[in-house]
Amino acid sequence: MIIHHPLLGPRDAAEFVYLGDAALIDRPDWQAENAAEAFHAYGYLRDNPAGVHQELWYHEQGDRSWLVVTRNTVNHEISRVELARDVARARGRGR
Amino acid sequence: MAEYTLQAEPPLAGTKMEIAGVRLWAPADLALVSLALPLGREDAADRAIKSAYGVDLPEIGRSVLAEDDTRLIRLAPDLAFALFTHATPDAGRVVAQRLNDALYTTDQTDVWVALALSGPDARRALERICPIDLHPQVFGLGHAARTVMEHLGVLILRTGEDDYLLLSASSSAKSFLHAVEVSLHNIA
Repeated sequence: MIIHHPLLGPRDAAEFVYLGDAALIDRPDWQAENAAEAFHAYGYLRDNPAGVHQELWYHEQGDRSWLVVTRNTVNHEISRVELARDVARARGRGR
Repeated sequence: MAEYTLQAEPPLAGTKMEIAGVRLWAPADLALVSLALPLGREDAADRAIKSAYGVDLPEIGRSVLAEDDTRLIRLAPDLAFALFTHATPDAGRVVAQRLNDALYTTDQTDVWVALALSGPDARRALERICPIDLHPQVFGLGHAARTVMEHLGVLILRTGEDDYLLLSASSSAKSFLHAVEVSLHNIA
């Protein structure tokens, strides 16, 4: 499988480490009323879609960047690769 | 009490051979210092590089040779390496002073090891163990990439038409040399 890194171009999937659902970017507010429930969901509950899935990949044997890869779990087609940093900023993170 | 004199011994010191018409050697006295661009102060860092080395920090995946033969290698938006010949163990301090501390510097000289390959068939040997495309039209002069060869993390640089410099972890230096040597024997 080839992952088209947004900065480095096509790279072999062997250079990457898979972490999981990109929803991990959205860490719940620990001071919220429902923090315990929110963290339970954050830590343990995952969708397992047959189809398009956004996931976090780490370019460990490369530039050490975190990527958000949009991949179809049925046919492994990768439709989008973004820097996790850009995704987090687009969701309103400061840094 | 006995008097001891300690001598620095780089892991692949003295390596020099020719296989399949390709010269393979470990360049002596190479120093490597990482340069991290501070968040929010990237412009000041760029200016410090320009005034210290007389060249702009290159694009990601590219390297540039400064006037004093220091090679600046850009690896990521906020990370570059300075590679230069420097025999004494103070490379980190020298670079930090030169850049006026406008970038975070870390001396990486002792944790990396370098191998140089030169010869028309160097690419034939490398493409057997390197997953990235090394075709001259894709991997041009001065291009740099961090990748893996035989499970070992390697930073590969194209320093000339048929010249490559490979950098890998000094802790696995001998396995790294073995991987490159075997690949050269396989094209012989």
